Amino acid sequence: MRPRFVIGKLLGALSTIAFVVVFDFFLFRVVNGDPINSMFRGRNLTPAQLDRLRVKFNLDGSKWEQFVAYVRQLLHGDLGYSLKSSRPVATVISEAIWPTLLLVGTATLLAMIGIMIGYRAGWRRGSKFDAGATSMSMLTYSMPEFWIGMVALGVFAAGLGWFPVGGLNKPGSTETGFSRLLDQLHHMALPALVLGVAYIGEYMIVARSAMIDTSREDYLQLARAKGLRDAEVRKRHAQPNALLPVVSLSAINFGFVLSGAIAVESIFSWPGIGQQTQFAISGPDFPMLQGLFLLISAAVIVANLAADLLYGYLDPRVAGR
Amino acid sequence: MKRRRWSMGLAVAALGAVAMAGVVNTAEADTAPVTFTVGLLQDIDSFNVTAGYLVASFEAWNMQYATLTDKAADDFSTIPGLAATWDKSPDGLTYTYHLRKDLKWSDGEPLTADDIAWTINTSRDQEWINHYATTQNLTATAIDASTVEITSSVPDPKLPTMDVYIVPKHIWESKAADDITTYDALDGVGSGPFTLKSRNAGQDWTMVANPNYWGGKPQVDQVVFRVFTEGSAMVAALKSGEIDFVHDVPSEAFDTLKNEPNIVAISGAQGGFSELAMNGMQGGLGDGHPALQDITVRHAIAMAIDRPALFDRVIHGQGVMNDTLGVSADPVWTPEIPADQQLNYDPEAAKKLLDEAGYKDTDGDGIREMPDGTKPLNFRYAELSDSDNAPAIRELITGWLKAVGIGTEVSTYDQTQLTDVIASGEYDMFVWGWTPYVDPDPMLSYFTCDQVTTDVASVGYNDANWCSDEYDKLYTQQNQELDVNKRIDLVHQMVTLFYTESTYVVLYHDADTQAYRTDRFEGWQRQPKDTGPALFTNSSPTYQTLKPIAGGGSSGDSSNTGLVVALVAAGVLVLAGVGVFLTRSRKQRDDRE
Repeated sequence: MRPRFVIGKLLGALSTIAFVVVFDFFLFRVVNGDPINSMFRGRNLTPAQLDRLRVKFNLDGSKWEQFVAYVRQLLHGDLGYSLKSSRPVATVISEAIWPTLLLVGTATLLAMIGIMIGYRAGWRRGSKFDAGATSMSMLTYSMPEFWIGMVALGVFAAGLGWFPVGGLNKPGSTETGFSRLLDQLHHMALPALVLGVAYIGEYMIVARSAMIDTSREDYLQLARAKGLRDAEVRKRHAQPNALLPVVSLSAINFGFVLSGAIAVESIFSWPGIGQQTQFAISGPDFPMLQGLFLLISAAVIVANLAADLLYGYLDPRVAGR
Repeated sequence: MKRRRWSMGLAVAALGAVAMAGVVNTAEADTAPVTFTVGLLQDIDSFNVTAGYLVASFEAWNMQYATLTDKAADDFSTIPGLAATWDKSPDGLTYTYHLRKDLKWSDGEPLTADDIAWTINTSRDQEWINHYATTQNLTATAIDASTVEITSSVPDPKLPTMDVYIVPKHIWESKAADDITTYDALDGVGSGPFTLKSRNAGQDWTMVANPNYWGGKPQVDQVVFRVFTEGSAMVAALKSGEIDFVHDVPSEAFDTLKNEPNIVAISGAQGGFSELAMNGMQGGLGDGHPALQDITVRHAIAMAIDRPALFDRVIHGQGVMNDTLGVSADPVWTPEIPADQQLNYDPEAAKKLLDEAGYKDTDGDGIREMPDGTKPLNFRYAELSDSDNAPAIRELITGWLKAVGIGTEVSTYDQTQLTDVIASGEYDMFVWGWTPYVDPDPMLSYFTCDQVTTDVASVGYNDANWCSDEYDKLYTQQNQELDVNKRIDLVHQMVTLFYTESTYVVLYHDADTQAYRTDRFEGWQRQPKDTGPALFTNSSPTYQTLKPIAGGGSSGDSSNTGLVVALVAAGVLVLAGVGVFLTRSRKQRDDRE
């Protein structure tokens, strides 16, 4: 890859992040209103007490002064304090990141089965397998996550009692080591399966169409002419070439991993980024929202950058142009 | 071949470990502590009494921090807390509290008069958000280790009640005034029945029984608070026995829970209410409709609204049908409005009032105009976007107003926006609500002339822009009246005056909907008696009396260990199968090459 290609992509990503910082700040302040007044309505506080709260949360002064203070904080790696919990935004986010990565990461791995199914279906286009797999994928892809979640919760957790109704661990449990891990897996099984089912269709459909495109290529005819068996042609010649769209889908999805699965996290009370976003919106907790949006945007931007660079590596024509 | 053996080995090892873990799990359940689990839809905001403000935080503080005087479960009367007895000075300004013998913090340090004096004086000097309203005029002096003298600079009818959380000086005194509000307060040192053991943000927090509690160690070992983000999931957890108590039952689930075996659903009122407020334009900012400054129009509006119907159709009867201002969680402060002053639903009488006052529909569009024929009675009606009840209330009220010839233009705002709109006075009516404390003073103070917003940079609580000299005079009197019966009478006069002025049409008193399992724990105490909630009350007395029912088991151990083992084993087998399949296909390929 040429250095110019890499540097160009890097600069693009950095300037997008800078734009996001500015945009997020003003986005949440487009609507007028003083959150301190509404949060402490009916709390019997004096005007002096309210003023002190405004100073604490960087809500005093003009919007421009607040913005300068915000950027200065940000450059020091400080995201400010959550209006709701008075805890540092960075701490809250760093606690919520791991449950989300675990849940969405597991679901994404499960969804990789969709790639295998998609390749097979695309290779034998029109077969019974293809028809079955495609309609299944369409079905799961079109079902809203929260709906699958509610049904799964009602049947397997509340109804049959096979799984806990939500959470990351059994609360108040003193278990450690392996039995704690087992407990965590027990809690994660249902939300991860729900998300996995929701993701699987998307991967299957993309993999299938990539395979169909590839299967028309001349070099596959050549491979067959060489006398290779059908499975060999698929594995060694078709699949690697059908990989590109799947790589970009995975990279972009990975960016969205951090935004969590708001619906699924909410149904299963999963303590991740999605749940924090939901809490913050109902505030509105400006500092939390800014921190979360910055993180989510940065994750998408970085994932896209990674996809661009990976693309350049996998397909040298892209980087050379 | 090597690879296949490796994956088989892994599968066998995993299966073995899973089976072992199952055994360990079952063994552990026998020695598990008695755990009472509460489900709620809110995470705690802060354990720090100088920072938190949500209901969940107050519940944790009620458990962890005892107060000098406690409140009786039945009627909120002042009963001994950390102080066993107290004496009053002849002028009524000074109280001397005598502490219980041998008080200790949960960490074993002695709890003395010094802790109490430090908390009261520091909270006054630093204006702590949850203490200052009570301590602002007080000075506390530790006379000796078990005697503390508290003097108020003004007559204070709240005394001898001293319901501020006393914090351990030995933990808190090192915090500087500037950053005391950012302290996470996870130390778990307190003097109440339970103290904080651990917290998982966004998930749960656990309070354990305080062995040094002066009321005797509680009979429940730990109380776990579990945060849910979905109301129906929380109800499902109660039904399946994962939790023992639900706070904030979604209204659609409330009636079905009533029919569940071993579950009791209660709706507990604490004085909180919802109201239709009208912009009185008395001293404040803005451009409220001139018709609403006429008490006749306000009376007509009150009589056009069918409150009993709202109560049934909007909150399904889960509250209290009461249309007076709720000033306290204690019903003793709420007067009976004399029959001749009641503004009951009577649309015909409302029309007649408006007709007689000259508000007639002169242009035949169904909306009345001002007596001089200029401005139509079209009111800006604001509501909250995050209120579940707002749409139903709006449909009913705007329909009833239309029926008497009053038009509305509806706008929806979030809480921050609506606060801003109200402060600027640019509204005619809005629907919102309040929740009072136990002492009526704060709620009453919100409608004094001082609290009318005259500068948007300093917003007052008087959101109806309403001001009355008579009300203010009564407010000052009740604020200094040390005879409780006389004070009750003054407060009744104020609430009646506020009712007849109709700047607020109180729609109903809402309730906390709660539900609990009856097969595991007993000793529930509703505060106040019979009508209040069982938990999340003003002083949360239930935790001191809650005890397990023999053979009832505790929540959370319903997880089906055998099934987990089976499921995980199935998962491992599938993975092993995939591994074997992959190895085989690789082997085939290798063979061909």
